[in-house]
Amino acid sequence: MDLARLKTEIKELIVRELNLEGRDPATIEDDAPLFGEGLSLDSLDALQLAMSLEETFGVRIPEGDEARTIFRSVTGIAEHIEKGRANAPS
Amino acid sequence: MTTPSSPSDKGFPEASPAGTRLVITGTGLVSALGNDAKSTWEGLIRGERAMGTLTVFDASSYKSSVGAEVSGLREMADDTWSRTAEMGVLAAREACESGAIAQARAAGLRVGLVVGSTTGGMFETETLLAVLADPKERETTKDEAWRKLLSNPISSTTQWIDCELGPFARTRTLSSACSSGANAIVVAATWLHLGLVDVVLAGGADGLCRLTLAGFGALSACDPEPCKPFDVGRRGLNLGEGAGFVVLEREDGARARGVEILAELAGWAIGSEAHHITNPEATGSTPARLLTRSLERAGLTPADLDYINAHGTATPLNDAMECAGILSALGSEASRVPVSSSKGQLGHTLAAAGAIEAVITTTALRKGLLPPTVGLTNPDPKCAVRHVVTAQKAEVRAAASSSFGFGGMDSVLVFAKPGYAKAMVPEHHEVVVTGVAVLTPRGLLVGGAAARSMDVPSLPSPASVTIDPSLFDPARARRLDRLSRLGAIVVEAALGPLRPAPGAQVQAPYRDRVGLLLGNAWGNLDASAAFMRRVFEKGPRLASPAEFPNLVPSSPVGHISIYLGLSGPSFALVDFAASGEASFLQGVEMVASGEVRAVCVGGVEEESDIVENVLKRVFSGPPEARPVRAEGAGALTLASAEMAAERGLPVLARVLSAVAFRSGEVLPTVADPCADPSRCLVIARDAATASRLLAGSRWAGCAVRGGEGSVGAHESVGAIFLATAASLVSEKAFDRVMVVGESGGNGYAVVLG
Repeated sequence: MDLARLKTEIKELIVRELNLEGRDPATIEDDAPLFGEGLSLDSLDALQLAMSLEETFGVRIPEGDEARTIFRSVTGIAEHIEKGRANAPS
Repeated sequence: MTTPSSPSDKGFPEASPAGTRLVITGTGLVSALGNDAKSTWEGLIRGERAMGTLTVFDASSYKSSVGAEVSGLREMADDTWSRTAEMGVLAAREACESGAIAQARAAGLRVGLVVGSTTGGMFETETLLAVLADPKERETTKDEAWRKLLSNPISSTTQWIDCELGPFARTRTLSSACSSGANAIVVAATWLHLGLVDVVLAGGADGLCRLTLAGFGALSACDPEPCKPFDVGRRGLNLGEGAGFVVLEREDGARARGVEILAELAGWAIGSEAHHITNPEATGSTPARLLTRSLERAGLTPADLDYINAHGTATPLNDAMECAGILSALGSEASRVPVSSSKGQLGHTLAAAGAIEAVITTTALRKGLLPPTVGLTNPDPKCAVRHVVTAQKAEVRAAASSSFGFGGMDSVLVFAKPGYAKAMVPEHHEVVVTGVAVLTPRGLLVGGAAARSMDVPSLPSPASVTIDPSLFDPARARRLDRLSRLGAIVVEAALGPLRPAPGAQVQAPYRDRVGLLLGNAWGNLDASAAFMRRVFEKGPRLASPAEFPNLVPSSPVGHISIYLGLSGPSFALVDFAASGEASFLQGVEMVASGEVRAVCVGGVEEESDIVENVLKRVFSGPPEARPVRAEGAGALTLASAEMAAERGLPVLARVLSAVAFRSGEVLPTVADPCADPSRCLVIARDAATASRLLAGSRWAGCAVRGGEGSVGAHESVGAIFLATAASLVSEKAFDRVMVVGESGGNGYAVVLG
């Protein structure tokens, strides 16, 4: 899957899983912050997002500071998934 | 011997004499440390921990498999039986014996029962629910399996206690998640202040289940090892299970019947954070204001407080905010007041915790011995209170017990040595209805328009409610599920001018904060089924953290209090088919006794094929006689007459009578119908229910409107009837309207005029 397609899927997942009614996934910018500012998501959203990313893409999201880096933006999440896939046993 | 006070002429709560003291005269406990109060207390003092690998179900695939299990329970093959009910019965029985309830009954005293619970029969039904989540499976599931779901509503525990240890003069079941047990004690206190009963058995019970273990795991709130309250290395809670009950009565009554007074319930305060469905507000401002308020009510200051039994769950967020709240409420006294949490030994017993810890706190006070926080070795600097790490002797004049629930429903109880605190002067306020709204498959009707809710005798098809999304601010409402949205629509409309402006309640006095009491019998059963299906199919790791908080019975109350910024007392009421009526009575009692000046009451139920299937199987009449089930919600804002006058609120109707009685009893004294029978109306589910409940009363000859045909049948439909009744009075269609309902041995009669 190319990176652009992956990012689109992540955006769709965010809107669906976090119930962002009326939000067009395409309006979420790749590098916009997801937490605190930007989409103003909170820690419960982070847990839901981690669970659904694991379910959809088979990649675990670590807890703590590492998660903060991954969850900084859609790009951060996409990079983590790509890295996880590259390291996965073929 | 005290004579039971007679009901007032109006059948309306009558205040007991000035200078009342409420005392604890009996206690009962079931915990993982022992199935009675003595063995639990001794285990606590010895510093024992009851945690181990769970055996009640295979928890090996869960994020934590550690918990504190109760053993030695009998198993009963009955539709409504659950481990929760069994623990409730055991603890209630011990409290009854120690409080000499049999002797009180023999002397003609009226004994009430209040129970807080959250999990109910979830353990007994969650595997079945996971199967039933698939509609195809529903067709082949046997009748007896469906009937087991009758154990699921939390009122089943109350019914078991009533059945085994009653009958009680009145019963009530509530849920505010992890503060339920404490709130049950507050409700009991209100009943005593209003003179509704002479003695109350009050407490909470909750059993372990997969749903809560998966849910707290999904929230990353469980420690995989024995938990460490207040420790810098704490990682979360361990679930426990159990039950706690106290016997509460007026001091004069206790002295007259010669029972030992263990402690005085000197003060209490309950309120909502209106902040977040799972995360407590970090500064602990609500717990702080409630601790301050409960001390004030007792006529005490922080200088009188010698112990706090903390909520202390060992989650990173709870313990830090709780300590911040204690420091802020106690000021310089905080460095002196010892604090401990019992959850490092008993686990978090959820709805039972507030009641179990009330028993622990009163025992500490009586014995002059403080139980420790076990698991704490390296205190977190963010938890800079004075910790008790091993049991220690101490003179305790007054002690507090704190409980905090999902959705920010917080409670603080203050106990004191008999006579140490100030006696309370019970109040009695007239209650009026200042706003109403009903939501049925026909749409939303607000204020006077609600008078038309039953004008059409049949339901539209399909009988479901269309939710107008434009009624919600999508950003703030995104966590509200369908049940909460149905409720939020009517609550917001019924509040009218009492809906707080954003941030307006930050400095509001305790009583001016608007509370929320909603009836809801089944909770979100279909969502619980879907959640459990996922747990079984995909594993507990993939349980949905966002969905879990929607599965507790108090979820709509929590969501709506946050959505609308309501920071007064909030909890859910469950009395199966009369959950709406129970919520109304609870509100009337809280306003009449002066606990709050305004509260929104009501009920909400959503469409559920699973519930429909259960009810189909338990309906005893011919299938064609079964009323059509619909979803819907009703809400009424109740205020004291003084507040309505002060604020210039519209008065739709006055509450002339609001009585609860036991089915089969003669209707208690209520306000009479007016002289002209054409100006009076009775509303009930159907004419047969009205004529049965009103037989022999002065209302027996009045015209009856059966409401189920018009608005559909559901467990909280009584809230729609009550809102309609208030509108009919305000529109001058009738001078007086009575609403009657019944469920599971309880009858309710309300007269508005």
